[in-house]
Amino acid sequence: MNPVDKATDNDLMILVRDGRVEKMAVLFERHHVMLFNFFLRLTGNRNISEDLVQDVFVRMLKYRSTYQGQNKFMLWIFRIARNAHIDFLRKKKNEVSMDEHWYEEPSSDPLPLEKTEKAQDAMRLNQALAKLPVKKREVLLLSRFQNMKQKEIAELLGCRTEAVKAMIHRAVKDLGKAYFELSGGVTS
Amino acid sequence: MKCTQIKNKLSDYLTGDINETARTDIQEHVTQCDACREELENLSAIWTKLGVLQEEQPSKELRSRFYETLEIYKNTQEQETVKDRMGSQMDSWFHRLVPQRPVVQFSFALLFLVVGLAAGLFIRGNWQRNAEIAQLRQEVGQIRQITAASLLGQETLKEQLGETGQNLQVAVPDRQTLLDFLGQTGSSSTVDTRLLALDILFPSSSETKQEYLKTLSEQSYPLTEIAKALASNIGRF
Repeated sequence: MNPVDKATDNDLMILVRDGRVEKMAVLFERHHVMLFNFFLRLTGNRNISEDLVQDVFVRMLKYRSTYQGQNKFMLWIFRIARNAHIDFLRKKKNEVSMDEHWYEEPSSDPLPLEKTEKAQDAMRLNQALAKLPVKKREVLLLSRFQNMKQKEIAELLGCRTEAVKAMIHRAVKDLGKAYFELSGGVTS
Repeated sequence: MKCTQIKNKLSDYLTGDINETARTDIQEHVTQCDACREELENLSAIWTKLGVLQEEQPSKELRSRFYETLEIYKNTQEQETVKDRMGSQMDSWFHRLVPQRPVVQFSFALLFLVVGLAAGLFIRGNWQRNAEIAQLRQEVGQIRQITAASLLGQETLKEQLGETGQNLQVAVPDRQTLLDFLGQTGSSSTVDTRLLALDILFPSSSETKQEYLKTLSEQSYPLTEIAKALASNIGRF
């Protein structure tokens, strides 16, 4: 195995910063699926999510000289991801309403037999997520799927840790309510 | 521990960002508090249910798009590196050309200043001299033109004196002829014409000459004064 492949994200990004831009390929292979899923749960749209992943890596190349190191690669990449998403929302603000049209709506046809209860749950959860405000959704996804500490999320968002704790609590509560409503008031 | 304190720690409990003591406190509290237990159960249920959202794979196009972009970026970077290298080489050459010691730098600067000033003065002097010569040439040319035009427009003395003057030079005139001549030349605007007439009249009578001299009395031209003096003196002789 190439020694570079064993290098930490932080070490690789320092190499990229110092001119070895080809090392960005290793970082892409490590993180593009994770970013894709983050954006997919945030936007509910595959094409938009792929565009945003591409945008994140382009921005990483563009702003590579600003990388400080200090073993905070994940914080840095999610800061770029958030900015890319914010810019996307700003551009699309007047085009479509996210909650109404962005999410890939489930088919109105009866679900095929092979669709399991798990798949239906996933669909309802995605729909419930789409009903949350963007910031709550972001915090919930970072905490639940990216395993970021509440303190790191606070640093990323530029707010106090207590505020993040309250936001996670409310987000989970609101998500539960939305999910309950989508399930027709029947909890599983 | 109060319910509000427990609720503030529920997110810690869900995310696992909690120490064992706090976890035990929450677990003990919910065994005694139905409201907090219900809330924790609901939150935990939806938190756990989020696990059904499995990781999805992006399309292959995403990877190919990224590598294409990376390749373009690398090429651009290489071109910029070459430019930077050339720029730094130029800087290096320039650095070698410029003396390092401030005293030498100052001396060179002073030398260039003096040379520049001298060159400027030399060029300016030449330019001014040339301008003066050109102006003089122009003035001389204008004078020549004026003179030529004047000569072309002026009648000759002989023409001005006419036939009478020519006859006076070859024969002794009678009184009437002299009076005619006097009338013809006495009103001439040209001083030279009247001086010549005076010369022609030199052999004539004293009375005729005196009449003619009166026509010259209004002239302030120096030659006229000399001619008047000569004519008066000759008359005495």
